[in-house]
Amino acid sequence: MQTEPTHETLNAFIDGELPPKEMERIAMLLAEHPDLDAWVHRQEALRAGIKSTFSELVTVPPPARLVQAVKDAPVSWRWRLQQFAAPRIWAPMGAALALGLVIGIALRPDSYFTNRDGQMMARGALATALNDELASDRYTGSGPRIGISFRNRNGHYCRTFSADTQSGLACHGDKGWAIALLAAYPRTESSGTYRMVGSEMPDTIRAAVSADIEGEPFDAIAEKAARDRRWK
Amino acid sequence: MEETGATVVKHPDMNRSAEDIRGQMVQLLPRLRRFAAALTGSVADGDDLVQDTVERALKNLHQWEPGTRLDNWMFRIAKNRFIDTRRSYKRSGVVAVEVPEDALSVTGDGARAANARLMLADTLSALQKLPLEQREALVLVTVEGLSYRDAADILQIPIGTLTSRIARAREALAPLAPEG
Repeated sequence: MQTEPTHETLNAFIDGELPPKEMERIAMLLAEHPDLDAWVHRQEALRAGIKSTFSELVTVPPPARLVQAVKDAPVSWRWRLQQFAAPRIWAPMGAALALGLVIGIALRPDSYFTNRDGQMMARGALATALNDELASDRYTGSGPRIGISFRNRNGHYCRTFSADTQSGLACHGDKGWAIALLAAYPRTESSGTYRMVGSEMPDTIRAAVSADIEGEPFDAIAEKAARDRRWK
Repeated sequence: MEETGATVVKHPDMNRSAEDIRGQMVQLLPRLRRFAAALTGSVADGDDLVQDTVERALKNLHQWEPGTRLDNWMFRIAKNRFIDTRRSYKRSGVVAVEVPEDALSVTGDGARAANARLMLADTLSALQKLPLEQREALVLVTVEGLSYRDAADILQIPIGTLTSRIARAREALAPLAPEG
């Protein structure tokens, strides 16, 4: 003889949460128990009523202020730090590094860097990107990419970047953007080309940012304000 | 608190741009509004909660684990924010049920729109009388149509707890159900 289902079982039946065989069993049972059947019908009507009542709300476009909030609210800087594309192959070196030290790994004589009185400086497209680009700018898929921007403990503006096979940190001074730190992407043997193998900032750079930052990285508004002041 | 650990779990879809995520959040707005209205008891308060939720979600985006569902994560934030801030949604102890005219601008049919407004107001006020833990459980399953598993995941409770809350909520709302 079958026991009467509990209300919890009937609820699961109403919500379609029982295994198929159990759904069948309850359906048959309801046919034999008009009182239970009536209860289920009432609850089904209530469920449908509540759902349809609120469904009106999703048929209208959301208010503009909410859409604006989604578009304007600042994104977590830690998340941007994670997204900022680069591998973390230099982790073991991280602890030993301090700002101002340049590791010239995989440095090719390319157009992004120049040596000025012994200090590596950004030039060309990298200097332009550091000067003008905002992290929120849509990345076109080529050329240098800006990560996060912040003010360091000496009051200088600094920005992380990735460019081709390198990822680095540059700080703005009198003569332009001094490269404080540089790390390279690993070479992928299979393809023989450089590519991004991870999606997070190298630990060296992350550590340098953490060590040298004053306060928090800029949100979009502060970043734009600093850019508009030409990083001075 | 500063994260210094180097434990970074890689996900194939981790390289999303902020724009992608904002786009997904815009898509989620209608559902969040519906959930928030049911939770707060008012469309206007619900919209405030939704705004708070999206700002919070973006600010704490690093806490979202890519590869997991963004919608569930945001529902959880909305629910937690509601618990944290609900005092501000209650006006001198009385929950305001207000449905702005334009919140339900159902095209053309004025009578239907008026009726919908009335039903929404009734349902909102009935839901408000439920204890919060029953309300949130019922709303996720009934209004959002989520599975017990997803609802329990959002509320971070065992499924057994969820089902008993739903059962109690339904008992309490039974008088609202049409007779026979």
